[in-house]
Amino acid sequence: MPRAIVLNSSDNVATLIDPGAAGDRLTIQGEAQPETILQSDIPYGHKCATRPIGEGEQIFKYGEIVGQATCPIAAGEHVHVHNVDSLRARGDLGADS
Amino acid sequence: MTFQGFQRPSGVSGIRNHVAIVSVMESCNTVVRGICGAVYGTVPITMPFMRGQLGQDLETTMATLAGMAKNANVFGVLVVGLEPVTSETLAAKITPSGKPVEVVTIQGSGGTIDATASGTRLAARLVRQASALSRESCPLSDLIVGLECGGSDTTSGLASNPSIGHAADRVVAAGGAVVISETSEFLGAEHIFAKRAVTPEIGEKFLDAVLGHERAIMAEGVDLRGANPTKDNIRGGLTTIEEKSLGAIAKAGSTPLVGVLSYGEAPTGPGLYFMATPAPAVESLTALSAGGSQLNLFSTGVGNPIGAMISTTIKLTGNRNTAESFSDHIDCDVSGILERGESISEAGDRLYDYLVRVAGGELTSSEILGVRDTAVSRFGLSM
Repeated sequence: MPRAIVLNSSDNVATLIDPGAAGDRLTIQGEAQPETILQSDIPYGHKCATRPIGEGEQIFKYGEIVGQATCPIAAGEHVHVHNVDSLRARGDLGADS
Repeated sequence: MTFQGFQRPSGVSGIRNHVAIVSVMESCNTVVRGICGAVYGTVPITMPFMRGQLGQDLETTMATLAGMAKNANVFGVLVVGLEPVTSETLAAKITPSGKPVEVVTIQGSGGTIDATASGTRLAARLVRQASALSRESCPLSDLIVGLECGGSDTTSGLASNPSIGHAADRVVAAGGAVVISETSEFLGAEHIFAKRAVTPEIGEKFLDAVLGHERAIMAEGVDLRGANPTKDNIRGGLTTIEEKSLGAIAKAGSTPLVGVLSYGEAPTGPGLYFMATPAPAVESLTALSAGGSQLNLFSTGVGNPIGAMISTTIKLTGNRNTAESFSDHIDCDVSGILERGESISEAGDRLYDYLVRVAGGELTSSEILGVRDTAVSRFGLSM
């Protein structure tokens, strides 16, 4: 059962410190989270959602905003550059974003 | 609280006893490398892009080269130039430190062969003088420690950066200074760090540096997502600059922010400082060493081997895979935090004890393998 770390109770992602396979249940270290079953293989060091996250909703890690979901994310899903965007230094969005 | 170091005429002590061979412009790099190849105990300071600068860039380059030469890790300096005017200008910035400074020029010598021969003899004499010094008991409060990360992944924010933060707190408690840099790696965490400023003015100055950098990026229409986090950060699990910054800030420990420094500027006393620098490691380490850092604590997640020329770099990782696969370059393994229940303060204390031994002469991997480089940042046009 891969271990994952959650540092703050308001976080909606956990960071894996073991590689995880689809169907694995996470052993959460740190702040308690709902039971999380991986929806796919997730590499060492990557994140997975510990609760469903709506499109446009903020991702929380360390109790702070670390990005925004670009599509709906199910609990247990891999959270990374394919479904999360940064909100900072986005010159592509125009100078007054 | 002391370490065994080298006392300098300036009054600040160093942890190494280099003779620095400093190139004034890129046409001199070959001569510098030739002298360093011939003379034990020398380190080269060379880079491309030194001749064509204007205005602020020219001032920054000269000040940064002088700062590295004045660093307390350096016993003496040989300046290698093309023509006498810029060579003497650089030498004049270094001599107030009280350390021996020699100059050789390629035009003055009549070519690179004779410049290399003259420079070799001058460097050899400096090394002989340097070797007459012994290590003596020096106060730990003389230390300025650079706090760096590179090749970060998610273990950086969970293990290696917090370990650095604990060691940084101990350096400050001993009366030393610690400097965190890499301006863009505060985006997403700047509001937290600004609150630690000892005065509102310092907090404002810090925010201006970080938010000003963001505005400059936006004004160019550049999307930071293409550059920071880097491809290896992303492979290691870091998704956004915000996530990276929140992990990076842990390097700064818990003491108040006492000052904001410009590129290459020296701290004015003990405590935690922020220095505005670009994020790539060689550029920020160069600026930190120009500001007087004798030693850097450098965390890596996926594996970045680089160190600095003048200042000594300690490389650590909290990633158990990297500690094994990249072991040639890892000086301190803190993966026990994630694997064996080691606490951050236990790992940080281990790191601090090792820092004191390195200050006293124990070599690190980037020194032993020569994985070191120099890069002075440029911000403007070429002539």
